[in-house]
Amino acid sequence: MKSKLVGLQLAAIAAVFAVGAAAQAPTTAPAKSSTLNPSEATAPAGGGANPDVVRRRPREVAPQGPTPRLPDGHPDLSGVWNGGGPVGDLAQGLAPGETIPLLPAAKAIMDKRQSKDDPEANCLPTGIPRIAPYPWRIVQTPTHIFFLFEGNIHSFRQIIMNGKHPDDPDPTWYGNSIGTWDGDTLVVDTIGFNDKFWFDFRGHPHTEQLHTIERYTRKDLGKLENKVTIIDPGDYSKPFTLTFTATLRPKEELMEYICQENQQDAQHMQGNSGLPQNP
Amino acid sequence: MKAAFAFLVAGLALLAPAAALAHHSFAAEYDTKKPVTLKGTVTNVEWTNPHARFYLDVKDDSGTVTHWNLELASPNVLVRQGWSRHTLKVGDQVTVEGAQAKDGSQMANARTVTLSDGKKVFAFSPSDAPAQ
Repeated sequence: MKSKLVGLQLAAIAAVFAVGAAAQAPTTAPAKSSTLNPSEATAPAGGGANPDVVRRRPREVAPQGPTPRLPDGHPDLSGVWNGGGPVGDLAQGLAPGETIPLLPAAKAIMDKRQSKDDPEANCLPTGIPRIAPYPWRIVQTPTHIFFLFEGNIHSFRQIIMNGKHPDDPDPTWYGNSIGTWDGDTLVVDTIGFNDKFWFDFRGHPHTEQLHTIERYTRKDLGKLENKVTIIDPGDYSKPFTLTFTATLRPKEELMEYICQENQQDAQHMQGNSGLPQNP
Repeated sequence: MKAAFAFLVAGLALLAPAAALAHHSFAAEYDTKKPVTLKGTVTNVEWTNPHARFYLDVKDDSGTVTHWNLELASPNVLVRQGWSRHTLKVGDQVTVEGAQAKDGSQMANARTVTLSDGKKVFAFSPSDAPAQ
């Protein structure tokens, strides 16, 4: 029964993706050819018969162009993206001069955390707003928006457009997300989190009181800004806002990534997660 | 050829900082102050997530064989770089430079893998980059 349900879930997502892609294709602004850094454009590639040539695919940079739009006028956020959230340290998203308003009890939790216990290292989800260093895809429809993650254990987030949070949601890794449009910005309001995931390698904690408000703005064809406000009176003295930017990977397709397949890292990791070695 | 190789090295050096991160803190698992150079025979290749791995039998001067577990990037990252599951084969003679696991086990992150003909493979594994 369980596998049947999973199969149905995947089929539903595939169907939504197919419909969404078909609906959006005609109005998506054509991407200019992705450009290469000069140093990369001329770097040997291809390998083949020459054993001295290291094969390497040239690195893509964000394509230039206007923000694509859907027939209803809203920005089209769909595509494969890279980045857009913290990986090593939540503080990377702070504005200059700002600090994370960590409460003393939360700092004590962080000080005790060991890297080996990082859920992400143990192939559990990143939660929000953390991102895994692998591509992810936005699938956008008028009623739902899905974030499909390649890394981050090949899981997905579901954002219900113009919906309503349940009164007493069960605590989960991605919580309950409701989306609305504020002009050209997609606002994603999420509550109902569990307290299991870490915000970053350093182990910034949170409680089940966590409430996130993500504001996604596609600044142009190649850049998606995520301005996320963290509200958690259990671990932080006041709300704070972080800014991250995802980059479009126009030629990329997601690949399978089953993290649990051969995880051998966590058992060899040592030391406190909050040490400066993980800046 | 020599000039071309020098150019290649310079080009890849520019690419190195762009290397992606692993799903875990690199610094918590590997010690860059424990560099290792291992020369041996590939006994197994695991083209699996979250990291591709290969295993190496290394014989020392006294003939004693030790078995090493070498970590690479994820297969997805390696494929995007142009490598494949056929790049390294059981029986290949290789020299590996990398960083040993902090817990002292015979496990390392493979920074460079050089085949017996001098060809380098799996260059710039993403978990080569220090965590940020």
